[in-house]
Amino acid sequence: MKKFSALAVSFVFAIVAMAALSVKAEAGVENSEPITIGSVVEDFKLPDAAGKEHTLGSLKGGKGTALIFVSTGCPVSNAYNERMEKLAQDFKARGIHVVGINSNVAETPEMIMAHAAQSKLTFPILKDKGNRLADRLGAQRTPEVYLLDASNKLVYQGRIDNAQNPQMVATSELRSAMEEILSGKPVSQTQAKAFGCSIKRG
Amino acid sequence: MKRSAYTLVLILSLGIFVTSIATAQQQPAAPSAGTRPAGNTSKGTINGGGAVVTTGPAVAASAMVQEVDAAGVKKLLTRGEGATARPLLLNVWATWCGPCREEFPDLVKLDEDYRPRGLDFYTLSVDDVAEIKTAVPAFLQQMRARMPAYLLNAPEPMEAINHIDTAWGGEVPATFLFDRHGQLVFKHSGRIKPDELRAAIDKALAEK
Repeated sequence: MKKFSALAVSFVFAIVAMAALSVKAEAGVENSEPITIGSVVEDFKLPDAAGKEHTLGSLKGGKGTALIFVSTGCPVSNAYNERMEKLAQDFKARGIHVVGINSNVAETPEMIMAHAAQSKLTFPILKDKGNRLADRLGAQRTPEVYLLDASNKLVYQGRIDNAQNPQMVATSELRSAMEEILSGKPVSQTQAKAFGCSIKRG
Repeated sequence: MKRSAYTLVLILSLGIFVTSIATAQQQPAAPSAGTRPAGNTSKGTINGGGAVVTTGPAVAASAMVQEVDAAGVKKLLTRGEGATARPLLLNVWATWCGPCREEFPDLVKLDEDYRPRGLDFYTLSVDDVAEIKTAVPAFLQQMRARMPAYLLNAPEPMEAINHIDTAWGGEVPATFLFDRHGQLVFKHSGRIKPDELRAAIDKALAEK
């Protein structure tokens, strides 16, 4: 009996040691699981820079919603200020609303408000305190777009266009996807990547 | 007598367990110095176009930034035939990126510590190509960086992003560690955590 106990304890130690090693070995490559194209984004509630609470339901457009993760300090996000505002203006009356989301831990509501005024951004920008929405969607950078159709289904994720420098723009994936929503066509390119600033999480 | 034998087995098992945990967490002792030369001794770097670009001595090299396209990035990662024996660390950065600048001294220190121990380390700037002779080399010089430095010139960034890691969205800074076989074994978006990265490098260097 005692022999059995000693062997059992040894066995347990060995298993625990192996498990510890394998966890260590796998800890290197962390794969977050972002929301996939075709999934529905559930309603959320976040405050704007003035502290007023909004839901996705209250801000969404009749035909769709472009959630764009933005930053006050990221030069890439700032390079897109005019383009984001233009998209918001162009599509608002046509039924797709642009909503900015700021998940950067160091960017306060005061900074967001001042930045929006200075950059002439008129679309709503929500403060994602604790980066909970960014985590839920898997957003990693600014600017990064999550385009939802009328039923809040994700139809496009990624960049606004291919180039920070407006003069180098060759493909405008977000605008094309928004046009496809409005014409009732399926979005042909559902994802596109570009360099951006990593979202600083809290 | 039997009882003490069981106790011995128990103590030995405990010892093995503790040692395994400690080995998994500590950095292995530095290999004998001088097995690998310090600094970038590779005199030729092949870019996407296949041209061989000569790099000068370490200090001068810090001011020299090689332009690469997406195909060039792929070649950097494969490092040609017969050159795959060293693990490779790749840091993607830009002068406009605050956390990239903040983490750079840690990266330079890592390079100093690990290059003699068998690690290749390249930096890839995603700045505008107009900065290739100005802001990028100026910053690298200020940092006293000796890693081979590249700047991506690709109007379509997606191809280069996917060559590095298809699961990566393109946020910077981003740091990738490839093992001796070219497999991605560690990655980190945002400012690096030096201890975590060092542990991953130690592991990659320990594996044959």
